[in-house]
Amino acid sequence: MLCCLLAPGCGARERPPASVTATPQPPSIRLGADEQAFEVVNLDAGQLSQFGKPGWPAERWPDVLAVRVGPEAPPMAGAWDVADGVLRFRPRFPLRPGMRYTVAYTAPGANAAPLVAEFALPKLETPPTIVEQVFPTSDLLPENHLKFYIHFSGPMSRGEAYEHLQILDGNGKPIESAFLELGEELWAPDGQRFTLFFDPGRIKHGLKPREDLGPVLEKGKRYTLVVGPGWHDAHGNTLKAGFRKTFQVGEPIEKLVDPKTWQLELPTVGGSDPLTLVLPMPHDHALLHRLVWVADEHGRKVAGKTTVTDQEKRWQFTPDKPWPAGKFTLVADTKLEDLAGNNLERQFEVDVFRPVEKEIKKDTIELPFVLQP
Amino acid sequence: MMSTMRILSLATLGAALLAATAQADLTDTLKKGTPDLKSIGPISFGPDGVLFVSDPQSSSLFAIDTGDKANTPATGTIKVGKIDEKVAGVLGTDAKDILINDLAVNPASGNVYLSVSRGKGPDAKPALLKLDHKGKLEAVELKDVKFSKAPLANLSDKKTEAVTCIAYVKGQVLVAGLGNENWASTLRSVPFPFTEANKPTSVEIYHGAHGKFETNAPVRTFVPFDLKGQTNILAAYTCTPLVKFGVDELKPGAKVKGTTVAELGNGNRPLDMLVYEKGGKPFLLLANNKRGVMKIKLEGVEDAKGIVAKTSVAGLPYDTIKELDGIQQLAKLSNDSAVILIRAANGELNLDTVPLP
Repeated sequence: MLCCLLAPGCGARERPPASVTATPQPPSIRLGADEQAFEVVNLDAGQLSQFGKPGWPAERWPDVLAVRVGPEAPPMAGAWDVADGVLRFRPRFPLRPGMRYTVAYTAPGANAAPLVAEFALPKLETPPTIVEQVFPTSDLLPENHLKFYIHFSGPMSRGEAYEHLQILDGNGKPIESAFLELGEELWAPDGQRFTLFFDPGRIKHGLKPREDLGPVLEKGKRYTLVVGPGWHDAHGNTLKAGFRKTFQVGEPIEKLVDPKTWQLELPTVGGSDPLTLVLPMPHDHALLHRLVWVADEHGRKVAGKTTVTDQEKRWQFTPDKPWPAGKFTLVADTKLEDLAGNNLERQFEVDVFRPVEKEIKKDTIELPFVLQP
Repeated sequence: MMSTMRILSLATLGAALLAATAQADLTDTLKKGTPDLKSIGPISFGPDGVLFVSDPQSSSLFAIDTGDKANTPATGTIKVGKIDEKVAGVLGTDAKDILINDLAVNPASGNVYLSVSRGKGPDAKPALLKLDHKGKLEAVELKDVKFSKAPLANLSDKKTEAVTCIAYVKGQVLVAGLGNENWASTLRSVPFPFTEANKPTSVEIYHGAHGKFETNAPVRTFVPFDLKGQTNILAAYTCTPLVKFGVDELKPGAKVKGTTVAELGNGNRPLDMLVYEKGGKPFLLLANNKRGVMKIKLEGVEDAKGIVAKTSVAGLPYDTIKELDGIQQLAKLSNDSAVILIRAANGELNLDTVPLP
């Protein structure tokens, strides 16, 4: 709720009772009933009649009624209108909690000082935001590890991510130019998951950043991903605490994701136990959720819930309805990646230029299974 | 980031203008309504005051008729100190609560447009602001305007694509982006006018890197330009190469082999660029986050063989323009000037006009 801060000219929130006397009230400024407009009330009919007449130049509105966020700020964008004896300004963008708005009404042609009122929205009280999880969850990552997903408990602010992210070597020293920094930043739409890529130029052999600076991660060494506590959430508050993930680096993964190494554990018919896919190594958490599913014998996606556990080596699907007997297929999109960005059709490290007509492209692979009573 | 007129070399400008008079106005296919922008990212002007606006959150591309045309486009300089505070004021908030995503110059009017997010969280509101040569800054009303919309990609609840750069060139809008899950950068070509039949297509650009071929690297920024009757794209990648390829090669589903014409050095992030002519010779002005602004000679780029040697900085010769340190965005304002967003040493973010070096 907005508070009126200054008394002079600032209309009381309470509306006056039905008029019982003829005493005219002085003009005053108040907040509209929906708290998204400012209104000047008690203007006499003569004043009001000048506004909005044919020929009234729209660019004059800010000279009459202007809302600003500071003494040197330009007038806010919005729309003006006169209705039911009230001059009203409706800002184009919603009023923001924590901001102070100065409203000034200047009667056209009058020499009197403007009528001024200030309003402020109290800052919202929001629970502190924390880092809930970082994927992959394993503390052993390949030398050519490609990305982290950082999950937050609430929505975060854009525009400052890389200021708060570091990779430290075993001595606690930050490694420079470790990440792919994109000004646009890579967020999930809800603002609660940030995707952090290592600079691919330092992963791929032969590329210039690696030639000059070397790889970020080296086999046998220990590193720490640091999320700084100064990162602001969407409400402008810093994180409740920073976050650290320490991991050991092992052999690089330099081959395609191979479904032949996958194992299926089948549920029993009539129950709601999950179908389980056991992977030989951790895979990309987000892609396991999005790119693996179960289809019935007609190719229709079976409705249910996917969970990924055991350091992203265990994919499980629990159907909404008990499993019927029948033929099913586990379907995986060939874009499913391991931790090094290799997928089912292309290794991260090897890019071969081939004319498109020679490429045999398959969007999915299918692992059929039968549930028998 | 880029305006269409920027792509026209002086040599081809006359021919292009002649051709334009024979074509329909670019706004003819647009319909009146309210574009339902969920967010706003890179923007770029086409002819006739049509602004192409990327909306990463809904993975869409809009063509909007700004109606901002003048018989004689304004000239001269534009300068606004503390532009972020003034933009925030118009949007009813403070400078900490906005992001200026891009700027573009409307070649039909000479006015500067800013793509701005009002708010930094997922509920940030998209805003488009116009700045004229008198310094008047206003929020563009996006109600009851002529527009058209094209989808870019399928999204899911968590999957999105960041848009890093867009430009209108030769009847298509090129859109560079990067997914937030798969390791897959995209360069999409969206034919204009946007229709059901004119679906966006994805193009893979391979570029040489020390004898190997690299793809899927994200294009950070790119600029179209004409040279000897051919329209080319110069694309700056996040892992430092500057790559050239021909627009005519961008066919649906094509795999295009680009030529690496320069390596720009490590630990560096290319931010924005423009092409211009000086003394009859073409140059590229490239702003970087760490290596300042580079002025790169494009003379002979059409014959560039591609870089294979392992040198720290190789390819086309360039100078560093030290006085332009701190540039975040730039766009060509006229044949001899550019408008820039620059972070001054005192921390203020200013919009300024500078002569092209």
